[in-house]
Amino acid sequence: MIGTIKGLTNNQLEDIGCQIILGNTYHLALRPGADLIDELGGLHKLMNWKRALLTDSGGFQMVSLLHLADITEKGVTFQSPVDGKRMLLTPEESIQIQNKIGADIIMALDDVVKTTTIGPRVEEAMYRTLRWIDRCLAAHQKPAVQNLFGIVQGGLDPVLRDICLRGLVERNLPGYAIGGLSGGEDKDSFWRVVAQCTAALPEDKPRYVMGVGYPLDIVVCSALGADMYDCVYPTRTARFGTALIPEGVLKLKHKVMASDERPIDPTCSCMVCKNYTRAYIHCLVTKDAMGSQLLSYHNLSYMMRLSRDLHTSIVEGRFPQFVQGFLRAQFPKGDVPKWVCNAMEVAGIDISACCAPLTSSQN
Amino acid sequence: MALRFEVVGRFNRARAARLTLPHFVCQTPLFMPVGTQGTIKGLTNNQLEDIGCQIILGNTYHLALRPGADLIDELGGLHKLMNWKRALLTDSGGFQMVSLLHLADITEKGVTFQSPVDGKRMLLTPEESIQIQNKIGADIIMALDDVVKTTTIGPRVEEAMYRTLRWIDRCLAAHQKPAVQNLFGIVQGGLDPVLRDICLRGLVERNLPGYAIGGLSGGEDKDSFWRVVAQCTAALPEDKPRYVMGVGYPLDIVVCSALGADMYDCVYPTRTARFGTALIPEGVLKLKHKVMASDERPIDPTCSCMVCKNYTRAYIHCLVTKDAMGSQLLSYHNLSYMMRLSRDLHTSIVEGRFPQFVQGFLRAQFPKGDVPKWVCNAMEVAGIDISACCAPLTSSQN
Repeated sequence: MIGTIKGLTNNQLEDIGCQIILGNTYHLALRPGADLIDELGGLHKLMNWKRALLTDSGGFQMVSLLHLADITEKGVTFQSPVDGKRMLLTPEESIQIQNKIGADIIMALDDVVKTTTIGPRVEEAMYRTLRWIDRCLAAHQKPAVQNLFGIVQGGLDPVLRDICLRGLVERNLPGYAIGGLSGGEDKDSFWRVVAQCTAALPEDKPRYVMGVGYPLDIVVCSALGADMYDCVYPTRTARFGTALIPEGVLKLKHKVMASDERPIDPTCSCMVCKNYTRAYIHCLVTKDAMGSQLLSYHNLSYMMRLSRDLHTSIVEGRFPQFVQGFLRAQFPKGDVPKWVCNAMEVAGIDISACCAPLTSSQN
Repeated sequence: MALRFEVVGRFNRARAARLTLPHFVCQTPLFMPVGTQGTIKGLTNNQLEDIGCQIILGNTYHLALRPGADLIDELGGLHKLMNWKRALLTDSGGFQMVSLLHLADITEKGVTFQSPVDGKRMLLTPEESIQIQNKIGADIIMALDDVVKTTTIGPRVEEAMYRTLRWIDRCLAAHQKPAVQNLFGIVQGGLDPVLRDICLRGLVERNLPGYAIGGLSGGEDKDSFWRVVAQCTAALPEDKPRYVMGVGYPLDIVVCSALGADMYDCVYPTRTARFGTALIPEGVLKLKHKVMASDERPIDPTCSCMVCKNYTRAYIHCLVTKDAMGSQLLSYHNLSYMMRLSRDLHTSIVEGRFPQFVQGFLRAQFPKGDVPKWVCNAMEVAGIDISACCAPLTSSQN
């Protein structure tokens, strides 16, 4: 929110291995405000965060949080939650605010629609996104120190996605995001859009799948050629008492946890797993914010460990083995979802050893 | 007895000591943060150790409710459950019952109250309190006392004092682990020196490992407060720790230490953090104030805690009221401040410069020399010359 991850200090985030953290432009612009951040030397200085920052455009929050938001060619009009006035967030304004915040990576203001939307709105949004990227580029005052990423839109329609991809690639941006996903679409459509985009985006630029997500999704998207991810899931699920583990999830609120003296994950070397038992965290969850905090710490450690494992297994030439191990842990009975099997086929990774023989339910 | 208390320095009534407990060797004077259910708001064990916390308090009432004494016992005690490597102290459960549960009723048997879990009538007896505390396993456990508000007058105060003496015997009889847990008695008697004296004698007779001065920090005027502390510290044995419950403000801790007290607990540093207030040598700093929005200094330039080394007032101002992180960073700093105060008290006494420390402390808090009269009176009794810190008498100070 204001540059903090729920309850974790900078030192802890560094211990966990976080390299880039996201700030929400919408929230930052409200409080403390872009001008104040600028006066104080930018968000890095204000927070004293020594690693990288990425800010989004502010557009998504407006559309998802403000039911009175309205999108026109000018920008996103909305009712200010501070004083009720009509406000307008234009591509120019979004970039100006992000220039003041000073993050390493800034996102273009895009016209994003829910993936479940059908009809002409999807096409309109895609073309508008292309028109807005030019306005963003024109407004961007600090290309030497801030990387403006474009966002590929187009819903679930490969033709629209293709037009958007070409348009953005033409503009030779420092990096590209795949947007408009993780909004309720079926998994089969999800991976196919990611695969199409990674196939069309330049090899030598980073690819960021916005709003992803579940560890399984990250493994699949990485197999298909994506590089960067963001999601509230690990910290949000922590607040519901859920820990991420190789087998999937562990629900710390469950009664059986009350006397379980093991760490959340015996294979995890994070501060929480090295110091606290499931029994203790069980006591805390729902009764003390400390429970959520420790789970957030562990869950982020899990995600950063996953990131490192993906990177290292690829570098060391054992990526398929890593994927197989990951799937075996999550699906010990071999019931790997079909969409994963299909995606891995396209990714050229043999996971047949992880999948149980076909049964009629999997056809 | 499961502790050793060695005085390693003195100035008049003030003492610096080494308190050896089963889980940790502590230095007094010592502030103990309150951890309610075994956690201090948002701080990990590592952070508490970095801050220098030596003993933390658990509230028996809350722990007995959740997760429950038997479960804690099965899991090997609270130290093991929390993985806290230093010392723990639990209170008796009585205070929460009286202060939190308006349907609580005190009889000779114990404290009857309505369980907040299921509404049933429950009874906390001295025996039960000690049993629960035995299960929790803290280094120091507190006797169940009959505590009345300091503002109470009339026969209730005397009744409570005598009952406290009768209950200490029941606590002692029920205590199963005297070799590893130290049962402290609590001196009651309100603001009445006669009653306090009776209670003091009664408790000293029982030769307990340590003594608490209870029933204060409840709204009494400061003049009565320090006088009760002074009377108790004068009468309690030299070679046992003295714990003033519910104290408190840094100024109160300095005064009580000058008068010969050793240990303190209070929710104030963490509670005030949640209101956006930081403790600094000059007094308090209100981070919510508009002027903080562009103040790029650390909370306290003289403080070397993680928060002051990493974050500015401007940043914390952004956070307070809008993000729990604000309170958390302020709690971290405030506890660091309290532990630094504890260390400074200990070290200045050991190094023979306690009066100078007190003078420096008062000068920072009262730069105009307007040291409150009660502090002047208490320091006189403590034999510490603070005349250099006090502005010349004005009519308002008479």
